[in-house]
Amino acid sequence: MTPTEQLYERLRAQKIDFFVSVPCKLLAELIERLEEDPDITYTPVTREEEGLGILAGAYMAGKRPALVMQNSGFGNTINAVCSLLSYFKIPVVFLTSHRGSEGEPVEAQRVMGDAVKPLMAAVAVDCIEVASTAELDRVEEGIARAFETQNPVGFLFPFSFWEGGE
Amino acid sequence: MRRFEATKRVMEAITDELVVCNIGHPAQELFVIRDRPENFYMLGSMGLASSIGLGLAMSQDKKVVVLEGDGAVAMNMGTLATIGLVRPANYLLIIIDNERYGSTGFQPSFTASNLRLDAVAEACGVERVTLIDTEARITPAVERALGANEGPQVMVIKTETGMPDGIGVIPMDGLGIRDRFMRAIGA
Repeated sequence: MTPTEQLYERLRAQKIDFFVSVPCKLLAELIERLEEDPDITYTPVTREEEGLGILAGAYMAGKRPALVMQNSGFGNTINAVCSLLSYFKIPVVFLTSHRGSEGEPVEAQRVMGDAVKPLMAAVAVDCIEVASTAELDRVEEGIARAFETQNPVGFLFPFSFWEGGE
Repeated sequence: MRRFEATKRVMEAITDELVVCNIGHPAQELFVIRDRPENFYMLGSMGLASSIGLGLAMSQDKKVVVLEGDGAVAMNMGTLATIGLVRPANYLLIIIDNERYGSTGFQPSFTASNLRLDAVAEACGVERVTLIDTEARITPAVERALGANEGPQVMVIKTETGMPDGIGVIPMDGLGIRDRFMRAIGA
């Protein structure tokens, strides 16, 4: 199984059933999965902040929602994380490809790549790095904790995760 | 007609629909006009009421009515494109357009000059777009829109600026609003 297939199996095991996405090259295979799976609700969104609004509505209607995005998109969510997710206690799972991590070919990606962890910490999003498929248990544990505590959880998947083997 | 009167006429047409309301004075006015468990007062995240309503409409069968403002829609106009893509039948977005940022001191918004939100909604693929500027037309138009269940639908109501005196903050906290709303949905 590819890293994406293994990750998706874990997400479905944790009953994540409502996804929105803003694309990233590293997420192309995952987004194809979302487009094809008849058992989930999925739509692309124009911007990450908009996605959090949609996911908040989905959560209040009983869904278990996730935002698929690049780490640069986290910068577009900050007010919604505080004023919507934290204020109303709405758990959302951030599935974040980590551009600017080790192996990044585009220099411009490094600035936001370095900022994403402190930003998540500053707005009380539980930040969990998943460096390889051997660490996928952390995804299931983090999701379970997010819905139990009603706090958002942010997973960072660096290049090493996506480029990992079987 | 101010936003207060327009909101009153909209609420006369509401039965068991979920209502999501924009931040600030609009939410405070709705609370005074007709508080009910099916109301979600979005007290932060300006611009996202329309998106929250979209997520609700995609996730359950009850009809969803969103009360937005022109400034808020301008802040999150991209979600009109998503509404035009997803096309939920049970979704009605009502934009009360007073051409001002009313909660922050009545600064002119973009609809005071060239922005036409009804045209933007149409360009995003929403086929049922209504533009209303007389108070008497509001209740029948909302009843008709909710009867059709052929969404997504967008209604732009043009109003004057200003609000009645003596309307204060909503005496509920976020968790209280959320829990009551989620029980009303029954998910």
